[in-house]
Amino acid sequence: MKKGLLTLIIVAVVLIGGFVWVKNVYNGMVASDENVQAAWSQVENVYQRRADLIPNLVATVKGYAAHESSTLENVVSARAKATQVTVDPENLTEEAIARFNEAQGELSSALGRLLMITENYPDLKANQQFSELQAQLEGTENRIATERMKYNEVAKGYNTMVRTFPNNIIASMFGFEKKGYFEAKDGADVAPVVEF
Amino acid sequence: MLTLTFVGVMLSIAFSADAVPVRPDPPRLVNDLAGLFTPAQEYALESGLVAFDDSTSNQIAVVTVLDLEGMSAAEYATRIGLDWQVGSSEFDNGVVLLVKPKTADSYGEVFIAVGYGLEGAIPDAYAKRIIDNELIPHFRENDYYGGVAAACEVLMALASGEISEPGGEDGPDGWAVFVVFLMIILFICIIAIVFGNGKGGGSGSSGGRGGGGPVIYTGPVIRGGGGFGGGGFSGGGFGGFGGGSFGGGGAGGRW
Repeated sequence: MKKGLLTLIIVAVVLIGGFVWVKNVYNGMVASDENVQAAWSQVENVYQRRADLIPNLVATVKGYAAHESSTLENVVSARAKATQVTVDPENLTEEAIARFNEAQGELSSALGRLLMITENYPDLKANQQFSELQAQLEGTENRIATERMKYNEVAKGYNTMVRTFPNNIIASMFGFEKKGYFEAKDGADVAPVVEF
Repeated sequence: MLTLTFVGVMLSIAFSADAVPVRPDPPRLVNDLAGLFTPAQEYALESGLVAFDDSTSNQIAVVTVLDLEGMSAAEYATRIGLDWQVGSSEFDNGVVLLVKPKTADSYGEVFIAVGYGLEGAIPDAYAKRIIDNELIPHFRENDYYGGVAAACEVLMALASGEISEPGGEDGPDGWAVFVVFLMIILFICIIAIVFGNGKGGGSGSSGGRGGGGPVIYTGPVIRGGGGFGGGGFSGGGFGGFGGGSFGGGGAGGRW
């Protein structure tokens, strides 16, 4: 009788302890997952901000350099392509982020080429509106770099949590997947520097 | 062994992740790591910025460095803002003014990083204007103090238009410092009394006082040496950075 009671108590303690542990780990993962998604939405925000600047920029450049139409068209089509590639924040896999990064990277290099040719048009460079647009674009590139860095840091914290033992058992039970990182593409995220 | 490895890993992370200088302790708003200002100039800047922090809760940190550690000025300044958490966590109202002086073989670089909360008050275009109109003209003539002081003036005018919360956090902070000091004095008195009673004679008690006095006064008298205890006072009461965040806003320039 007494032995049965003891066994019952031990089983109960183990069960309760196990439940509390699973609950804490699970809730921690949910919170961390939310952080990653929030960081991702910031990343998309700043890319959207850049996309919103482009029509104005293209219109301004067109006024001064209409015969650079192929460069301008490249920017417009790269922008269209980039805004089509979105990532479901619930599904931030390595491949999804790589696809997003590639589309945005193409837009970055198209923009880089556009800014490069503007160096040949002194009138355009003297234009007040253009220089403000350029400053805004620069600021947006800085914001993109910052939010990407923040996303990577948050994702790293999440991945560490999900992949270390014994958390990984619970992660696989409830389907917490590893999140992808932003890999720096060679030259894609580096704004071209024009030297004289 | 495991702990050793762990410590090693943590250390390597701490050193590889951020090459920016560690948060100053005791906290200071002016961190002249490149040695561009005279002590008097540094003091004038610091007290102006601390007073501004007290009255509006906006924190403007001035940092000068000799080397950007291979980062862009924008990255470096934003990193400092994030690591030091300039600004309050409630408003994210911090600004980092980073200056890398011109040397024989490199450009001078300057960047104004603006916290999330002040991006409305100090848009990138305004920051750019401050760089072009206030900072670089002075910097070209090697007048670093003049440029920074003029820029801070404009930044303060812009920032106070957006967020002007009389130092909510500094009041209690100042009080906490005060209470701690009262307790230290009380403690020293008690020790003095206890020793005085134990050993008898007035010499023990005066010895206790002699030891206590300098500890309390080193802060305000010797600036910089005031790391012990007096740190809170030596900065004129700067209560420390408050948890602000940065998103890469601001503008920079080179000359």
